[in-house]
Amino acid sequence: MSAVLTTPAQAPVQESPGLWMLAWRRLRQDTVGMVSLVIVAFFLAMMLASYTGLIAKDWAKEKGVSYANPSFLAGAENLEAKAMAAKDAAAKAPPVDLSDIDPLAPYYGEWQKRAEKIAVTEVKRAETLPFGGDKWGRDVLKKVIKGSEVSIFVGLAGALIAVFIGTVFGAMAGYWGGFINDLLEWCYNIFTSIPYILLILAFAAVAQATGSFGKGIVSIILILALTGWTGPYRLMRAEYIKHANREYVKAAQAIGASNRSRMFVHILPNVSHVALVQLSAHVVGFIKAEVILSFLGFGVPVDMVSWGTMLAEAQNELVIGKWWQLAAAGTSMAILVTAFSLLTDSLRDALDPKLK
Amino acid sequence: MTAYVIRRIWQMIPTIAGVILLIFILFNWVGGDPAQVLAGKISNPEQIANIRKQLGVDQPYWFQLWVFVQQVFTFDFGRSWSTNEEVSRIILTRVGPTLTIMVPVLVIETSLSVLFAIMVAYVRGTLTDRAIMIICTVAMSVSFLVYIIVFQWLFGFVLGWFPVQGWSESFWKNLFTYAPLPIMLAVFVGVAPQLRLYRSFFLDEINQDYVRTARAKGLPEKRVMLKHVLRNAMIPILTNVAIYLPGVFVGSFLLEVFFSIPGLGREIITAVNRSDFPVIKAVTVYLAMFTMVVNLLVDVMYKFVDPRVSFK
Amino acid sequence: MTRRLAMLALAVLALALALPAEAQKKVLRMAFRTAETGFDPVRAYDRYSVGICENLFEPLLTYDYLARPVKLAPLVAESIPEPEEGGTRYTFRIRPGIYFVDDPVFKGEKRELVAKDIEYTIKRYRDPRNRAAYEWLFENKIVGLDELAEKAKKTGTFDYNAKVAGMEVRGKYIISFKLKEPDYNFLYILAMPNVVPMAREVIEAYGEDTMGHPVGTGPFVLKEWVRRSKIVLERNPSYRGFELETRYADPNDEWDRKAMEDLRGKRLPQLDRVEIYPIEDEQPRYLAFLNKEHDLIDETPVSFIQQVLPNGKLAPNLARQGVRVFPELEPEFTYDVFNVEEIVDGRENVLGGNAPERIALRRAMVLAHDRKQEIEIIRKGQAIAAQSPVPPGVVGYDPSFHTAAQDYDPARAKALLDMFGYRDRDGDGWRETPEGRPFVVQYKYNLGGQEQRQLAELWVKSMAAVGIRVETLAVQFADLLNDKRVGHFQMAGSAWIADYPDAQNFLQLFYGPNTNQSNEARFRLPEYDRLYERSLAIPDGEERNRLYREMDRLLLAYAPVRLGVHRIFNHLQYPWVKGYKKHPILYTQFKWLDLDVAAQQVAMK
Repeated sequence: MSAVLTTPAQAPVQESPGLWMLAWRRLRQDTVGMVSLVIVAFFLAMMLASYTGLIAKDWAKEKGVSYANPSFLAGAENLEAKAMAAKDAAAKAPPVDLSDIDPLAPYYGEWQKRAEKIAVTEVKRAETLPFGGDKWGRDVLKKVIKGSEVSIFVGLAGALIAVFIGTVFGAMAGYWGGFINDLLEWCYNIFTSIPYILLILAFAAVAQATGSFGKGIVSIILILALTGWTGPYRLMRAEYIKHANREYVKAAQAIGASNRSRMFVHILPNVSHVALVQLSAHVVGFIKAEVILSFLGFGVPVDMVSWGTMLAEAQNELVIGKWWQLAAAGTSMAILVTAFSLLTDSLRDALDPKLK
Repeated sequence: MTAYVIRRIWQMIPTIAGVILLIFILFNWVGGDPAQVLAGKISNPEQIANIRKQLGVDQPYWFQLWVFVQQVFTFDFGRSWSTNEEVSRIILTRVGPTLTIMVPVLVIETSLSVLFAIMVAYVRGTLTDRAIMIICTVAMSVSFLVYIIVFQWLFGFVLGWFPVQGWSESFWKNLFTYAPLPIMLAVFVGVAPQLRLYRSFFLDEINQDYVRTARAKGLPEKRVMLKHVLRNAMIPILTNVAIYLPGVFVGSFLLEVFFSIPGLGREIITAVNRSDFPVIKAVTVYLAMFTMVVNLLVDVMYKFVDPRVSFK
Repeated sequence: MTRRLAMLALAVLALALALPAEAQKKVLRMAFRTAETGFDPVRAYDRYSVGICENLFEPLLTYDYLARPVKLAPLVAESIPEPEEGGTRYTFRIRPGIYFVDDPVFKGEKRELVAKDIEYTIKRYRDPRNRAAYEWLFENKIVGLDELAEKAKKTGTFDYNAKVAGMEVRGKYIISFKLKEPDYNFLYILAMPNVVPMAREVIEAYGEDTMGHPVGTGPFVLKEWVRRSKIVLERNPSYRGFELETRYADPNDEWDRKAMEDLRGKRLPQLDRVEIYPIEDEQPRYLAFLNKEHDLIDETPVSFIQQVLPNGKLAPNLARQGVRVFPELEPEFTYDVFNVEEIVDGRENVLGGNAPERIALRRAMVLAHDRKQEIEIIRKGQAIAAQSPVPPGVVGYDPSFHTAAQDYDPARAKALLDMFGYRDRDGDGWRETPEGRPFVVQYKYNLGGQEQRQLAELWVKSMAAVGIRVETLAVQFADLLNDKRVGHFQMAGSAWIADYPDAQNFLQLFYGPNTNQSNEARFRLPEYDRLYERSLAIPDGEERNRLYREMDRLLLAYAPVRLGVHRIFNHLQYPWVKGYKKHPILYTQFKWLDLDVAAQQVAMK
């Protein structure tokens, strides 16, 4: 026996890369996935820029004539704008006098003086806009940018809430089992037995009538989330059932972790990749659903614009030859949704290599 | 096995109860007073109260709920509040047009998707595979609404190949004149997602051991695909189709609205807009029950098809 | 074998020869804008169902097809009665020899139309079981009827056998009505297509199904009905027929000339069959007409008007096909109401009451609203600015009445607001009340229509330009009706179409006691009500027009309403449709139309 213990040359300690690192590496090698990621990132950046007012802040300004042609169609006829310009004040009979019965009569003099002092600025409207104008003369390009912001926000927020609800319920059902599981399964069965359009219409009608879902954009997000939690719930529940009996959970119990801790500190990171893929898929689904809801009239409020409202407006514009709003909203939506879908696929592949 | 079926049927009851409760709460809480719609241009509150009495909505909630439950068991939901037509008749007459569109859609869509999926699975991993998948994704990202608007304009109006809209009495005229454009539209939009899904089913099978064995045995690839993979993949495929069945009855309300097809989907939208509660109740309850029955049948079928599956 | 083949060939040939004879039937195809509900005149409540009833049933009076301004004409009655006893008694004599269509209920007998049949219908209106939407026509009108209706409400059944003092049936063909108060518009009520004599046996036999079993005396019968999808009318084979009345035709009007030319010497109705398809969505309805799947389109959707009438003239591609366009200024009134109650939903209403600053706010909002954009962009020029609630073409309309108080003038709006203290003190870009409180005005509109949404957009934009904050709320149709009726709103849009061609039908919209019914603004001004009540008691004339003028001025001064527009509708027909002239009050014109079948067949190839 040697008295001196020579420490053998240490092999360099290799940190075994975690799930996420591995996934990221795999994703990096997926060209399609990376391109999609870049596109999605671009849209998100655009969304932030629009939200903070850096771009498209004046989307609602009526810069152009009604249905202004796109610049690349500058010479084309615009009957609508011509019609508007052609109307002039027709000769009318002298206006009726109200002064003997009008409660405002005593103020006529001062009123007239004040009115004269107020300057009225007439803004000249542009004949063409970069990608055309809508019926009010608003710039379609700016509308599309602002619309992206709203639509993506609705999709993201809705998906986040839906996946959150689904995960929490799924965790509770999968982990606890028993009565809680039965109760949640009952809820799930009810929601999935009712035809989806009926469910959406019912919730949308509730939101409209009672305003209990909050105003404006919040209500449509809640409608989507409250009808869309079932998918994530199903999958997360299955995951939790699988994991609840695994050894590492038992080990966590042994070291005294509470139930809640076990559910969300130990198990959740191991199943979060499923949640992420669900999130991504639902963003896509909700963006598409928002279009349908806007068509039915349940969409975002009047002073906001979204892809859905643009497409709903564009419905009748195609037949009269004004195709640019349809093209702009349809194309930008198609690009984002395609990118998001491909990203979802790549994420799924990257996170679960067995599926190759 | 019988015990399983009975247990499942028994489990349906709380679900139906839940559906009834949910619909009742939603539409009574918010449903919009149908008496307002029926009351005409000049009505005093007395007349409106009279209408509510005629419709039975002035009764206390628990009474109305009890009536609802009774209706579910007798399958008699009375008459529509806006047209006075018997609800069962409404549903029966509307289901026909919806099915005339949706059944061909289901059949064609499934056949095409399976066919393309097998072809794509055959060339998996190649550029063609990737390209087709991307095309599918792009096709799926355009809103259905956009497709309808453009197709109707292009094929109906500009090219004149199909009538822009409409429906007739004759089944054959419907099938060959009015249905083709909506069917084509629905198939065009529906094949892409199905293709992706079925491709993944096929790939699942292809990676199984038995396929490797078959190849090792020397079977030509085509035989492997058609004889073994296809047959095994049919289980999840048929399961998927079965899950779509309730949706077939509801139809696509967008198609029905744009093409003026007097189907069930459009009826639902109209009923909600007019707060026509009897129709809403009936459609919801029937479809909920149908969905549950289909789910049960699918599970039972699974047992017969794949003996490894056991019932819990 | 050859012999059998020959027989077969002969049969086929015979069939082929028979078919063209079939094809000579005159079939008119068109679309309705919204779905129908049913064909019981008392129970139907939407325009389109009533329009079908117009062809299946016949009221005592109707309107002359060509006369403009509209003129009453006798139909089932022999003549138009003169008002007796100061406008409280009207006596009708029914023409003998008018028969209902055959129905199994009549057990093979021919059933003649008699005076009792109109008495029965009016009683049906007051029967609570029918929940008739037009019950208001006979409320507080005929002596003795209200008491019977009260009894029916208490007992639950209406006693149809009880005699009503105000409806005297004298013999088989004569009925005399006694009214509680003078009403010079009573004749119009009896010209409405849903106030028609009906056979009691039929109603009692069909019970709940009367909507689908209309049995009348009209020129058409209901052949086929696929609810909300297809309505088919066919010529009533036992109808007595009539010829076009040309007494009131205007030789200078091209439509009158053409109608007279097309229908000269012809026995009406000429159409064999009418097929109607309810299509709610605009694009398919419009495209169906363009594709010649329909022969005419009533109320061309406004969205496509620039395609049809670029710069006001018919588009060349349509003109080449011989399409004709009938522009009609409908006797209707589209407007926005302010709820002028002081307290709304338990809170103080910044628009309510008649204090000068409140009036100023309403008037300023009206001045700031860009009506030109409404007309040009949303309505594509298919409307005229309303100068009063009364549309042109209606008795009592004053063409010389013109106001500037509702014209777009943001400078005057701002001046008015500044003057009364509505200023932006806290710098947030929105004005506060004179007391310094911030305020928001809520505008409710109908869910599900693009046009409604755009009107809401216009309000938001226009008010924002002068610093007033408007928030909008989309509401379900039924809920909006309710909200407007009970005053659960601040601002909302509305429209009213003439039930009968008299100004009274429009001015009653602001009559105090009509609050909770049609007076959605809840406007209660004693001077206005006094003038209105006085106008009820006198017939049309200089005196009544003077009263109407005063009422209009009060509305402009107190501004419970933004007057809005009277809409123009464009009706298109293909050249093979003959005899067309859109009537402002009648809903359909099937009985006067003819069809050139050969031309129709050629064009459809």
